[in-house]
Amino acid sequence: MSSKSPRHMAGRLVPLLVPAILLVVAEVWLRLSHVPVYLAPPPSTVAARLFGDPTFFLGHGVTTLLGALAGLALGGGVAVPLAAAMAQAPILERTILPLAILVKVTPVVALAPLFVIWFGFGWAPIVLIVTLFTFFPVLVGGVAGLRSVDAAALAFLGSVAATPAEVFWKLRVPSALPHLFAALRVALPLALIGAVVAEWLGSDRGLGHVVGAAHARLDLPTLAAAVVVLAALGALLTALLAWAERRALFWQRSDEA
Amino acid sequence: MSRVSVEAAPIAELTRSEPVPAVRARAIRAAYQLAGRPPLAVLDGIDLTVASGELVALLGPSGCGKSTLLRILAGVQLPSDGTVEIDGRPPAEARRAKALGLMLQEHALLPWRTALDNARLGLEVNRSSGSSATLAREALSGVGLTDFADYYPHQLSGGMRQRVALARTLALRPRLLLLDEPFAALDELTREELGWELTRLRTSIEATAVMVTHSVAEAVALADRVVVLSARPARVLAVVPVELPRPRAVDVEGTAEFARHVGEIKRLLRGGVETSQPRGSSDLLRERQRVPS
Repeated sequence: MSSKSPRHMAGRLVPLLVPAILLVVAEVWLRLSHVPVYLAPPPSTVAARLFGDPTFFLGHGVTTLLGALAGLALGGGVAVPLAAAMAQAPILERTILPLAILVKVTPVVALAPLFVIWFGFGWAPIVLIVTLFTFFPVLVGGVAGLRSVDAAALAFLGSVAATPAEVFWKLRVPSALPHLFAALRVALPLALIGAVVAEWLGSDRGLGHVVGAAHARLDLPTLAAAVVVLAALGALLTALLAWAERRALFWQRSDEA
Repeated sequence: MSRVSVEAAPIAELTRSEPVPAVRARAIRAAYQLAGRPPLAVLDGIDLTVASGELVALLGPSGCGKSTLLRILAGVQLPSDGTVEIDGRPPAEARRAKALGLMLQEHALLPWRTALDNARLGLEVNRSSGSSATLAREALSGVGLTDFADYYPHQLSGGMRQRVALARTLALRPRLLLLDEPFAALDELTREELGWELTRLRTSIEATAVMVTHSVAEAVALADRVVVLSARPARVLAVVPVELPRPRAVDVEGTAEFARHVGEIKRLLRGGVETSQPRGSSDLLRERQRVPS
């Protein structure tokens, strides 16, 4: 009942008002000032391009999405077990973690051309670049998470002679989940960036390729439409992740300070 | 094993009359090694014997090493010197036999588990028993939380969480309860209430208990003997038998006997704090081990 009250509706609409006004202002200003389309296309032109050929953008969008998700799955799939091994073996952590942190602070975009040279055109460089982008944030988050166990819970499990495997599955893994989700929140946009960069440099498919090709032709409506689709993809993935996090970490809400 | 007979006896007599005490700790020393600092001695030769069925309170100034001693008894920390026997065997063996029930000030519940699943955590470990759910349910109803089995810790109050932790420990039916200020984080009324409940449940499973506390009143109300420790590095200043009849109830705190015990222990603690270092003072205090009546 209350969710349909006018007040509530207004509360939902107001945040949408600002972008709507900005779009209208851009539209009017670009039309009146006669800025050429190859410099800045009005929003309506971009929308016409996007909805005039939806299968084109959808197809390339799916390609980018699959590349990003495959790379993220590979990066995370290797990082999580490795983090578990590192949490159990301090020597491994001392060896790998400094390297991981070094790579994490390096703008690995610079390595992307190298990957295209090494792995050629197509899926391989895309997936591997995304893997490189996402591997280290997940690794660092995973190690931090597996270490962040409650000392008192650890003492209790010790007092009943729990094995290291029992401590790992019953305490360490669930304790690591909040850190892992935080790492994924960082890794998800990185996965999209990685896929776009890789497609731009060495692919004939995907939104990254669309942006690169449109740029070469100064086809700004296509370029802008691709960016809009990318933004939608990013928002969709982030929303899905937030939903999964709320489901998985239901116990984190309103816990004691 | 009758508790009444051992209740008022000092250590020396206990070790003679009880062949295998529940706890025998001899010359326990412990030190913490922090980087770039000299070793910090926490325990300086602690002897402690607890007879089967007894409730012994460890009382001492904060930071004196009470918790360290308890962790050593539980075998989750190793002493730098000295030996511990639980029912005549090393703590590691007692732990594997689920003979120890450790309970800490932090409830240490797993937030992703319901109250019931938390209560069965200890039972689950290193033994997959089908009866763990039944035992855990019994333990939960023992602490009055039958209706909250499906609740998660974040949905429970502080006192209820500590009750779940108590159920988790009692579900193991341990021979020896090791309690480290188990209710200190709670408000005073809840703390007292849970203290009485603990003694009732402890009696029902016939467990021995060692309880660390910083509350003199709590120690006197619940314990058979109070071991008074000095400031760090901790030594045993005195062992005060609590000569109050059992079963006790809340109104025990209004009696003159109660006040006399509290006064005596506070005097011992004050002496221990003011003259924590020289050995002479503690010898002097040991002479007062038998409480004048």
